Amino acid sequence: MTPSYDNTYTMKERNVLIIGGGPAGMEAAHQLKQLGFNPIIVERNDKLGGHLAQWDRLFPTSETAEGLLERLKENIKDVEVRLNSRITNIEKNAETFHVTLSNNKNFDVDAVVICTGFDLFNAEKKQEYGYGIYDRVITNAELEEYFKTHNDKRIDEPQRIGFVHCVGSRDIKVNNTYCSKVCCATALKQACEIKDEFPDADVYCFYMDLRMFGKGYEDLYLKAQKDFDIKCVRGRVCEVSENIEGKLVIKAEDTLLGTPMKMTLDLLVLMCGMEKSKGADEIQKMLNIESNKDGFIENLGAFVGMNKTKEKGVFVAGACTSPKTLPDTIAEARSTAMEVYHYLCNN
Amino acid sequence: MRPTFDPFVIPFVASMTFVLAYCIIGMIRIVFQLPKEDRRKFLRSLITPKIFWKNIKDLFGDSLFHVKIWKRKPLLGYMHSAIAFGWFMIIVVGHFETVALSPLKDMHLPLWEKLMSNLYMPIFFRYFAVEAPTLNAHIFAFLMDFFLLVIISGIVIAVVKKKRPRKVGLKRVTKFGLKEDLVRISLWTIFPLRFLAEASMANISGGSFLTKFIGFDLLFGGHYSETLSYILWWAYSTDLAIFMTLLPFSRYMHIPAEAFLILLRNAGLKTTEPRKGYAVAEIYSCPSCGLCIDVCPMSEVKENYRNTAVYFIRNIRKGKRRRDVKHKTEICLMCGKCIEVCPLGIDSLKIKMAQREKTYYKIKSDFEYLSQQTTDNRQQTVNKADKVVYFAGCMSHLTPKITRAMTKIFEYANENYEFLDKEGSICCGRPMMLTGKKEEAKALIEKNTEMIKKSGAKRLVLSCPICYRVFKEEYNLEGIEILHHTQYINELIEKERIDVDRSDKRYVYHDPCELGRVFGVYDEPRNIIDNIGLLTQGKSDKDMAVCCGGSIASLTMTKEERDEITKNAIKDLTLNHPEEIVTACPLCLKTFARFAPIKVKDIAEIVEENIVEN
Repeated sequence: MTPSYDNTYTMKERNVLIIGGGPAGMEAAHQLKQLGFNPIIVERNDKLGGHLAQWDRLFPTSETAEGLLERLKENIKDVEVRLNSRITNIEKNAETFHVTLSNNKNFDVDAVVICTGFDLFNAEKKQEYGYGIYDRVITNAELEEYFKTHNDKRIDEPQRIGFVHCVGSRDIKVNNTYCSKVCCATALKQACEIKDEFPDADVYCFYMDLRMFGKGYEDLYLKAQKDFDIKCVRGRVCEVSENIEGKLVIKAEDTLLGTPMKMTLDLLVLMCGMEKSKGADEIQKMLNIESNKDGFIENLGAFVGMNKTKEKGVFVAGACTSPKTLPDTIAEARSTAMEVYHYLCNN
Repeated sequence: MRPTFDPFVIPFVASMTFVLAYCIIGMIRIVFQLPKEDRRKFLRSLITPKIFWKNIKDLFGDSLFHVKIWKRKPLLGYMHSAIAFGWFMIIVVGHFETVALSPLKDMHLPLWEKLMSNLYMPIFFRYFAVEAPTLNAHIFAFLMDFFLLVIISGIVIAVVKKKRPRKVGLKRVTKFGLKEDLVRISLWTIFPLRFLAEASMANISGGSFLTKFIGFDLLFGGHYSETLSYILWWAYSTDLAIFMTLLPFSRYMHIPAEAFLILLRNAGLKTTEPRKGYAVAEIYSCPSCGLCIDVCPMSEVKENYRNTAVYFIRNIRKGKRRRDVKHKTEICLMCGKCIEVCPLGIDSLKIKMAQREKTYYKIKSDFEYLSQQTTDNRQQTVNKADKVVYFAGCMSHLTPKITRAMTKIFEYANENYEFLDKEGSICCGRPMMLTGKKEEAKALIEKNTEMIKKSGAKRLVLSCPICYRVFKEEYNLEGIEILHHTQYINELIEKERIDVDRSDKRYVYHDPCELGRVFGVYDEPRNIIDNIGLLTQGKSDKDMAVCCGGSIASLTMTKEERDEITKNAIKDLTLNHPEEIVTACPLCLKTFARFAPIKVKDIAEIVEENIVEN
């Protein structure tokens, strides 16, 4: 049956709750607004943008995160945004959802889009890498912050820098068996950037595999080796310690050469992977939506059902269902907007 | 005058002769299978007065009363004592009764007839005897009735245990096949049949409160039927014969075997071969009681209860397919709880270790790095007399919070120490031992020994219980005191070399298997925590503490199976809502950290956090 959408005149009164004001939430809101609905973004922080607001430059093109964020923001300037707000309750009535916020405001919506995104893996869980124990062990997010502000005492003319890929990803020992998708490219991007800043430094990337699957990623890998002399070592770092001068001593294995290696570093960057945002747990409880085996939100299948959940009227977009790159997230937000459109027009 | 012989005794006499012969041949075989050294040790032990008295004490305490079962499950303790000791007393009192009152006493019979009659007379005494009106006879009759009642009360509990294990405090009991069922039923019926047989002719042969008054007067209504009585005596003898004939092939072989095992154990012997000598005595001594099933962490996953010690031993005994034995040998976490609860202390782990030594595992070992290993020479110059050498081990290097805390503690205590493996560890050798590779382990052990001796220290402090075990058991470090850091830190606190702050933070302590069950280090860590905060109780601790699930001893257990054990252990530990879980093993720490809802810390960390600077 081809849906006849004669009822577009009612769309303006149709509210859609968007949980989370990151790239997925903003893009979904933008599309829904254009389709004639009234999206309402609820964001717990005091600003929009999610993790994007903390990044400096984006792979593989090195355009600024700020530029993308501004464009996404520009698109939703007419959208109702509630910052510093938490959802305390969602109650489903026949066809609508009654939403209560932390400031006791409440309203009804016709559909819900969950865009709660991800949290970075807590690197302290991998004690052997020494994060939180040794000063010169930092995370990818902290390095990105450094690129933005150039204010980090721990990064002081480093001569030797190591990047550890797959921290908290593809690691059965922390119960995360999935790939976080963005760390390989991010590591090489950051490796090039830090080499740019400290041209005399030796930069090593310790990887299991390099998964350079996206457009321009493989080129980034070649560029990193050819133009920036980044040394990629296939093998995991197994142990980090500190020597008497406060430098890091790492043990790793070069699995291509089949030899164990020991190296002194001035800086070690841990490429923390993605985990589902902890904030999503409460939302899932309210909406009765389960998690999948990786701990992310369970959607309705890998193909055509990816934007939906088993609850009618509850949709998902972005990294809340699995780790995603920015282009994937934005594409999914758009497709979710279409699904919401079909759902509301048929109701 | 009653007859002095009847054909119904033949089944019993024949089967009894068979069992005796079987056991004697079995014992001789085991003694010959022992390594020469062990054999000499065993024979010498039999004539050493001190061991002789210990043997007597243990034969009563362990095999007749089973003190160990009484301690854990009093009802089961009573059940076992009632049957075992009751039966023993019936035999002993029966013999005295025969000696005192036997109709054969004054007869002149050929010697062999006298010997044979000595075998059956005490068992079937009431058939051949005529009631004597003496006080002696009444006392004997009373004692015999009393112990018969004791045995029957034990059998009642045994029936309840079989039908409703939870009533006697067990979740699961061992499952048996048809043969075992038959032997069990024959055992359960021996004494009720004896009671009926004795009661049926108590008017002639006499009896006491049970056989005469309850049995003959009430049950048989004071009526004597010669045919019925004769049938009952035949049934009693046949039943005994069935039990005795099947005994060597059933779990009831434990009755003679465990007595022999006690002698071997008291001689100081241990398993060296998985299917020879001492191990055989242990295997035949297993009564398949199944006390090890409920405590085994593997039983957490329901289908895995068949990996427990009792089934492993049964597999070996039955000469089951190699694959089954191999599987059970390799999956075991070797936490040692089964030994702890085993009424006989059967060390199935030693059998498993011996079995692993026989298996070829394709592991390539490259020890080239040993030659490059150097010690940290900077500290070699310090005074060696009171020096402590610290060996963190590879697991502690993966948990740098522990090594950092330890170095800080050494410094606070102003200790003259050397961090032996600061620049990288040589493995202690335990993982190699666990795969049965003793030779390879030796290479590591020698290198570590050399380095430790070279340091000149008189004390060795370790952070990892896995290392601690192998250092204690396999290293020859004469003159060097080996300490786990729980012991060392406790000493520092007691001697007031470090000072800690006490808060009301709630901790729970997890006993690492190798520190707790293997070496009994229970008090030191608890004492340390008492000095720092409040120690709460988990569901089970000390010798009944649950393995964290991370044990390197299991070669084949899947992650999913391990995860279930870990989650269950955490559930047990957090029973009384502690704020932090404290352990003393880097492996337990890492394993728990994956699932624990609260912080997991090593004991050294909490000490370092709460240390007071002077």
